[in-house]
Amino acid sequence: MSLLKKSSAPLAILLIFLVLGVAQSAFIVKQTEKAIVLQLGKPKAGPLGPGLHFKLPFVQNVIYFDSRLLEYDARPAEILTKDKKNMVVDNYSKWRITDPLQFYRTVTSIPRAQARLDDIIYAELRVALGGYTLIEIISSDRTSIMTEVTQKSNELVSAYGIEINDVRIKRTDLPPENARAIYGRMRAERERMAKQYRSQGSEASARITAQADKERAITLADANLKAEILRGEGDGIATKTYADSFGKAPEFYEFKKSLEAYEKGFKDNTRIILSQDNPFLKYMK
Amino acid sequence: MNWDWDKLSEQRQRNTGSKTPGVDEINSTIKKFRGTGLPGGKYVIIGIIVLWFLSGVYIVEPDEVGVVTRFGKYVATTNPGPHYHLPVPIESVMKPQVTRIRRVEVGFRSFGSSRSFTQGQSRNVPEESLMLTGDENIVDVQFIVQYQIKDPVEYLFKVTNQDKTLQDAAEAAMREIIGKTKIELALTTGKLQIQTETRALLQSIVDSYELGVNVLAVQLQNVHPPAEVVEAFKDVASAREDKSRYINEAEAYRNDILPKARGQAAVILNKAEAYKETKVRKAEGQAKRFMAVYREYTKAKDVTVKRLYLETMENILSNPDVTKVILSDSAAKRALPFLSLDGGSFPVKSVTNKKGVK
Repeated sequence: MSLLKKSSAPLAILLIFLVLGVAQSAFIVKQTEKAIVLQLGKPKAGPLGPGLHFKLPFVQNVIYFDSRLLEYDARPAEILTKDKKNMVVDNYSKWRITDPLQFYRTVTSIPRAQARLDDIIYAELRVALGGYTLIEIISSDRTSIMTEVTQKSNELVSAYGIEINDVRIKRTDLPPENARAIYGRMRAERERMAKQYRSQGSEASARITAQADKERAITLADANLKAEILRGEGDGIATKTYADSFGKAPEFYEFKKSLEAYEKGFKDNTRIILSQDNPFLKYMK
Repeated sequence: MNWDWDKLSEQRQRNTGSKTPGVDEINSTIKKFRGTGLPGGKYVIIGIIVLWFLSGVYIVEPDEVGVVTRFGKYVATTNPGPHYHLPVPIESVMKPQVTRIRRVEVGFRSFGSSRSFTQGQSRNVPEESLMLTGDENIVDVQFIVQYQIKDPVEYLFKVTNQDKTLQDAAEAAMREIIGKTKIELALTTGKLQIQTETRALLQSIVDSYELGVNVLAVQLQNVHPPAEVVEAFKDVASAREDKSRYINEAEAYRNDILPKARGQAAVILNKAEAYKETKVRKAEGQAKRFMAVYREYTKAKDVTVKRLYLETMENILSNPDVTKVILSDSAAKRALPFLSLDGGSFPVKSVTNKKGVK
C-alpha cells in the first residue's frame, strides 16, 4: 500500500501524458469524409480515407472534408431566351470535392466553394439558355443544355479540386405577364374547341331534323298519292258500273232520275205555281 | 467518483478519438487516485468494464439492417437479429429502415399521416405544381414518389440531404417529362406513360448520385388545368356534352315524328280504301236497284211511268212547307212579275210531263 502511494504521483503524471499523446496523435476519419494532414500549415499527408489514422502530436493538425455528393441549390434566376422571352430558371447542382488539397488551397471551405459555383454555373447557364428558344428549353433540348452546362462548368471548377456531377434545371417558370399571355391563349383555344363542339352538335342536329322532316313529307306524300290512286280506282269502277247498268235504259234512267231530282229539289220553302193545264191537275178542270 | 472519471475518459476519447487506455491502466489509475481503495472497489471497476463491453450488443429489427463502422470506416452490414460490435468509440452501428416505403409529395402537402390523397386534407403548393408542357401550355401536376433504401451503405455515406436530393430530382424529372408531353395527353390518356417515364428518369438520376434508393413508383395524384383557365376547360367538357345532347334531341325528334307520319299515312290510305270500296259498292247497289225497277217497268211501261210520276208529285205537294199556287195559264203569265219575292228565292218550276216517257 505504501509502495503504491509512493509511486502513484509519477505514474499518474505519466498516464496523463500518455492519454494526451494518444489524443493528439490518433484521429478518426468518418466514412463520409476525407482528411488532409498539415504540418505547421504545410500539407504533409493526404487525402486520407475513412478509418483510424495517426499523426505527430502538436506539430500536425488534421482538416476534414466532406467526401459525399454535395448540393448547391441556386436561387431562381430570370434569363432571356433566344426568342426574347423572359423565363425564370431554378436549377440545382450536385458536386463533390475530388482533390481536398487543391480545394483547401483554393477555396478552403464549402460555403466559399458554393459562392464560386454560383458564379460559374449561373453564368454558364445564362449563356447556354440564351442560345435556345423557350420551347426548345422546355421540351426538346433540355437534356443537352444541362449536359453542356455541366461540361463547361466542370472545365472551370476543376481548378478548385471540385467535380460537378450534374447541373439540373428544376423549374422553368414564366414571369407573371408571360404566364398571363399563355393562360389567355389556352383560354382562347378552349373556347374555340367548345364553339366547335357546339356547332358540330347543331349541325348534326339540323341534319337529323331535316332528314326526319323530309322522310315525314315523303311518307305523307306517298300515302296521298296512293290514296288518290285508290279513289280514282273507286270512281272509275263506280262510273263503269253506272254506265253499264243505266246505259241499258237511258230513257227510263232519265225519267227516274228527274223524278228523284224533283223530289229532292222541291222540299222546303218552295213556292210552286201550277198552271191549270198541268197534267197533274187535269182532273181538277 | 468512479462514474465521473469513467464518463470523463469516455467523453475525452469520443472527442479526441484516442484509443481507450488498457484495462490495467485504468485499474492502476483509479487506484492512484483513490489512494487506499475501498474494499470491493476493484470489482466495481471490473463491473464497469464488463458493462462497457456489453454495450456493444445491439438488435437489428426486422425492418432494418445494421451498418457497422470501425473508427468511422464502414466495415460490415448485418441482418436482422441480435449482434455484437466492439464498444464505442471503436465501433458503432447505424440502423436505417430498409423495408419502410418512404414518400415525397410534390405540388401539395397532405396533412397528418393520411396515406391517400384527398382534396380536403392537403394544401396545394402552386410553385411546385405548375409546369410547362411541350406545346407551351401550363398544367397543374401533383404527384408522389415512393422509394425504398436499396443500398444502405450508399444511402448513409454517399450523398448529403438524401430526402431533399430525391425531392429535387423528382421535380426536375417530372418537369422534364411534362416538358416533352402535350397538354391534351397529360390531361387525358398520357398519365400512365408520364408516370413510367418519370420513374425511369428519376431512377437513372438518383443512380448517378449513388443515392442507394430504389424508386418504386411515381404516382400522379392530380393533373388539371391551372385555376386561371379551368373554367374554359370545363366549358369544353360541357360543350362536348351539349353536342351529344343536341344530337340526342334531334334523334328523339326524328323518332317522334316518323312513326307519327307513318300512322298518318296509314290513316290516309285507309280512308282512300274506304272511299273506293264505298263508292264501288254504292254504284253496284244503285245499279242493281235501277235494274230491278227497270225489269218491272219493261213489263208495264205506261202504268209504271204514271205511278212513279204521281207518287213523286204527291210527295212533293204533300209537304206543308211547300206553297202551292194554281193559276190559269194566262193569269200566270201576267202575275209573275208582281209576285212578292219573300224568302229570297223564287224558283218557278213548271212540272210537266216529260215527253217520251210515256
